[in-house]
Amino acid sequence: MIRAVMVINTQGKPRLAKFYDFMPVEKQQELIRSVFVVLCSRAENLSNFVEADSIFGPDTRLVYKHYATLYFVFVFDDSENELAMLDLIQVFVETLDKCFRNVCELDIVFNFSKMHMVLNEIIFGGQVLETSSTEVMKAVEEITKLEKASNAISLVPRSVSSWQS
Amino acid sequence: MALSGMRGLSVFISDVRNCQNKEQERLRVDKELGNIRTRFKNEKGLSPYEKKKYVWKMLYIYMLGYDVDFGHMEAVSLISAPKYPEKQVGYIATSCLLNENHDFLRLVINSVRNDIIGRNETFQCLAMTMLCYCSYKDIKLVVDIHTSFMAPNLGMNFSYLSNLLQMFQTMGLEVGWEYWRREFAESLAPDVQKLLISSSCRPLVRKKAALCLLRLFRKNPDVVNVEGWSDRMTQLLDERDLGVLTSVTSLLVALVSNNYDAYWSCVPKCVKILERLARNNDVPPEYTYYGIPSPWLQVKTMRALQYFPTIEDPNTRKSLFEVLQRVLMGTDVVKNVNKNNASHAVLFEALALVMHLDAEKEMMSQCVALLGKFIAVREPNIRYLGLENMTRMLMVTDVQDIIKRHQAQIITSLKDPDISIRRRALDLLYGMCDVTNAKDIVEELLQYLSTADFAMREELALKAAILAEKFAPDLSWYIDVILQLIDKAGDFVSDDIWYRVVQFVTNNEDLQPYAAAKAREYLDKPAIHETMVKVSAYLLGEYSHLLARRPGCSPKEIFSIIHEKLPTVSTPTVAILLSTYAKILMHNHPPDPELQGQIWAVFNKYESCIDVEIQQRAVEYFALCQKGAALVDILAEMPKFPERQSALIKKAEDTEVDTAEQSAIKSRAQQQQPSNALVVTDQPPANGSVPIGPLSLVKIPSISSNADANLADQELTHANGTLSKVNSQSARPTSDLGDFLFIEGPPDAPAQENLVSGLESVSNAIDALALTPIDEQSNSVQPIGNIAERFHALCLKDSGVLYEDPYVQIGIKAEWRSHHGRLVLFLGNKITSPLVSVQAVILPPSHLKIELSLVPETIPPRAQVQCPLEVVNLRPSRDVAVLDFSYNCGTTMVNVKLRLPAVLNKFLQHIPLSAEEFFPQWRSLSGPPLKLQEVVRGVKPLSLPEMANLFNSFQLTVSPGLDPNPNNLVASTTFYSESTRAMLCLVRMETDPSDRTQLRMTVASGDPTLTFELKEFIKEQLVSIPLVSAPTPLPSQVQPTSPPVALTDPGAMLAGLL
Repeated sequence: MIRAVMVINTQGKPRLAKFYDFMPVEKQQELIRSVFVVLCSRAENLSNFVEADSIFGPDTRLVYKHYATLYFVFVFDDSENELAMLDLIQVFVETLDKCFRNVCELDIVFNFSKMHMVLNEIIFGGQVLETSSTEVMKAVEEITKLEKASNAISLVPRSVSSWQS
Repeated sequence: MALSGMRGLSVFISDVRNCQNKEQERLRVDKELGNIRTRFKNEKGLSPYEKKKYVWKMLYIYMLGYDVDFGHMEAVSLISAPKYPEKQVGYIATSCLLNENHDFLRLVINSVRNDIIGRNETFQCLAMTMLCYCSYKDIKLVVDIHTSFMAPNLGMNFSYLSNLLQMFQTMGLEVGWEYWRREFAESLAPDVQKLLISSSCRPLVRKKAALCLLRLFRKNPDVVNVEGWSDRMTQLLDERDLGVLTSVTSLLVALVSNNYDAYWSCVPKCVKILERLARNNDVPPEYTYYGIPSPWLQVKTMRALQYFPTIEDPNTRKSLFEVLQRVLMGTDVVKNVNKNNASHAVLFEALALVMHLDAEKEMMSQCVALLGKFIAVREPNIRYLGLENMTRMLMVTDVQDIIKRHQAQIITSLKDPDISIRRRALDLLYGMCDVTNAKDIVEELLQYLSTADFAMREELALKAAILAEKFAPDLSWYIDVILQLIDKAGDFVSDDIWYRVVQFVTNNEDLQPYAAAKAREYLDKPAIHETMVKVSAYLLGEYSHLLARRPGCSPKEIFSIIHEKLPTVSTPTVAILLSTYAKILMHNHPPDPELQGQIWAVFNKYESCIDVEIQQRAVEYFALCQKGAALVDILAEMPKFPERQSALIKKAEDTEVDTAEQSAIKSRAQQQQPSNALVVTDQPPANGSVPIGPLSLVKIPSISSNADANLADQELTHANGTLSKVNSQSARPTSDLGDFLFIEGPPDAPAQENLVSGLESVSNAIDALALTPIDEQSNSVQPIGNIAERFHALCLKDSGVLYEDPYVQIGIKAEWRSHHGRLVLFLGNKITSPLVSVQAVILPPSHLKIELSLVPETIPPRAQVQCPLEVVNLRPSRDVAVLDFSYNCGTTMVNVKLRLPAVLNKFLQHIPLSAEEFFPQWRSLSGPPLKLQEVVRGVKPLSLPEMANLFNSFQLTVSPGLDPNPNNLVASTTFYSESTRAMLCLVRMETDPSDRTQLRMTVASGDPTLTFELKEFIKEQLVSIPLVSAPTPLPSQVQPTSPPVALTDPGAMLAGLL
């Protein structure tokens, strides 16, 4: 099972953090920091694996990929194949690339909701849902279409928006 | 993009990005926060667009890691905005900002609910996304969703269904097990199953259904306990759509990992899938990843097969091995990194499967050969996995000899630039080490030690030490290795390691001159580690006389070279050096007056040392030196140690030492200390049978170095003790013995005190009590202190004593987090004989789920055992759990029933509310059963501040000024239980200044039981305030009334409780 997905930039700022086990927010921040400390000390051209036992507990593994200014990090248990997880990071990034056309950190800063949407179509509650970026794009486009359609008309009953008064 | 329209936000972001340093950034952020704060204060003038813009800014600031502690209400309010973009940011902000504060969400519950049960799929998506992140804990909401899910008119709305599925399974993380069991497992699972099997469903829904079922299964394995389910699984594996098939295979992995027996019929199907992918390449282009046919599905399928113990059917086995062979042979390292990753993902999974299936020797050696190739390739990921899989292979099969051929390459990997790879190499070397290659490997490790990075040194030193001990071809080599280890990485060599050296040398006469000579060599080095000083001083003290003829090894020279180090070492080492000097002096025959003078001068100097241990030694040794011949007997060489398991290896075996055991050992050591002196006078033991000091010393692996040093000192004191036994056996005149005791006796006491002070408080009174003869007992054991008072004190604080009598003390320490609690019971035996038939049983009320770990039947003398206790609060209730504790001491059987302080207020948490948060909530909860009112009479008179204090101590947050009437008091709190999740509770007290003994109390919450229980709870507290509500400065005239239940009589108390 995949336990967490993080996107951290090279200055240690989190750009996305999704934990598939319940985790209080301070703990999330702490984990992100610990992961970053390990990652930023690693040179280029090393393996994509990092011992994560001390951060996430026994039998957890961590793979990461470094793209330009961003680290993409997946944390998972020993029921997953490390290299397959690395491939999944690649699928995730390739899908983002299709969404934003040459994705860069700024796209992600401004559109993290979209990033969440993409991720939700790839990983579902810690399990791999879809591995074909073509299929993921189809699903994302479907939702986007719905969004745009609903942008025009308001379907919310009046009583809902007046809850505060 | 959605944001491009917000110029203010873009400007702010680029401003922040242009900041030169953190300080500038902080200034810019603070300025913006100030701006937003002001704008939000005049909320009326804000348009939804502006609100949206500011909330985005807040979110950006929050992402940068700054605390955003305001504006949450504004963010939340956007959820009810009618337009999509505002709503979206409302949801996103809520999910980001409000993670820790679920109760805010209660304020928008209706909006969220409307979004979910409405017909707008986009809004549903948003609402559900938020629920995924916030893990909102309202069961009612879940029920609503469930109901709409079951509604037939929604049956055809597939994307809605798939969204629901996603939410269900995400919420499944949060919704309690019991609930899943009852509500979902029984009613929902069949529907999910239908979705999965249905051929009319879109693949999008079906793959989510498969994973949803997986999640349901994890919560409750019964969901697939349906007749014919395994047949359905088998059919599902025929699926053509690879997306669905991947999810189904994930589900299969979960199912077979639990119980493979029902799914044998899936094995041939899995092999078929592998054939389809790896052999026939029958895959649509979108599932071909860098030329590899769906690597994930291949990996998952092979993973599933690894859960079956073996594959019997010859045909299936044959087909499978054909595919595996193809994978093993057909994979090459290429230039494209992604392609490499994908193809090797499959390859390594195939290797794992081959290992698992215990293939023919030929195929195995083929695998090892492959791995041998991998650990030398350029691609670091493959090197890493190559090493890891080799380590795995060591464990599974007998291919060590083939692996040993790659030893040189593995040793090279120890110098890999990547620490992850170096670690794997170290693991592998450690695993493959045996008698034949120990020398090479350990020497490599030692060499590597001087260049290894800091993060690895400790592990490296430990592993080298263990290997050296396990596989030493001869003992002198072992001594060489450990001394080198201390020399190169002294900081990482624990005391256990040098103790072990001393044990070996003491027990092997042949080794003694060699070890002494080696130690002497190291002392010549200009700067040596303190541990080296310790071990060489010890060895030379014992055995330097064996070197006397060698150059530079006269007693005088030995003394002066050791003495050179004295100014640089710490106190515990000084103590060891003093012993060494005494021993050197003793071995010096005939005495060299100059040396004698030098050493006596040292003793004289330290007689007034501030450290009591050193002072004691200096005084003792000086006095002993005056005795002349007697010194020889007293300071004779240490006797052999009894054979024992290496502490180091033991440490490697069980890295985690039970703390209870530790404290037991400590207290035993403490207890044995005085008993040694007694031993000398009346019952001389068999020689060497009582070396408790060193034994306990070696057995305590993970004590802080300080404690170790302490014990090391003790060992030396013991050494004297042991020797004095030899003394007594050789029938010395009693006057001598008396003298000895005079010297030995008193200094023991401070040493013991030293130890005691380090232990958990054992008061003097207890010590006195412990002296009571054991068999002279009154029939009833009277508790010390008032049990009820202790209980009430513990209701307000989280650690303290729950119960105490002359024999036993029960301490308690608790941590509470939402509806979970973790308590540790400390059962301490106060006396010098063991407590037997110890039993602790928890009688939990129905609303608490309590799990007590195993309680040992016997508590050793003066020992303390810890029993952790897990508590889960299921429902609001005031009932109290009871601990039924009994033990036997001698002939007395003691049984007490104690209330455990897992009371209602432990599941409350402070939550401050402002007026605009409080009142809508207060109004929305109208009338019974959610809001209850009662006039309470006979209240202990309390002023309002006192009442506020009392409330605070029960985790109710008093909000002063909220109620316009100054005689009223308004408070809020959050209650946590599994059924209610986090539930906001509101309390209002209306007091009568003219009559403080009566008041009107109103309690409101979203759960009728909770409202009632909380009301009754507060009433109990007000009617009888326990004496020890410490944080409350009670007026002196307030007398404690009898608590609601009769506490002193356990029977009556139980009756009252259950």
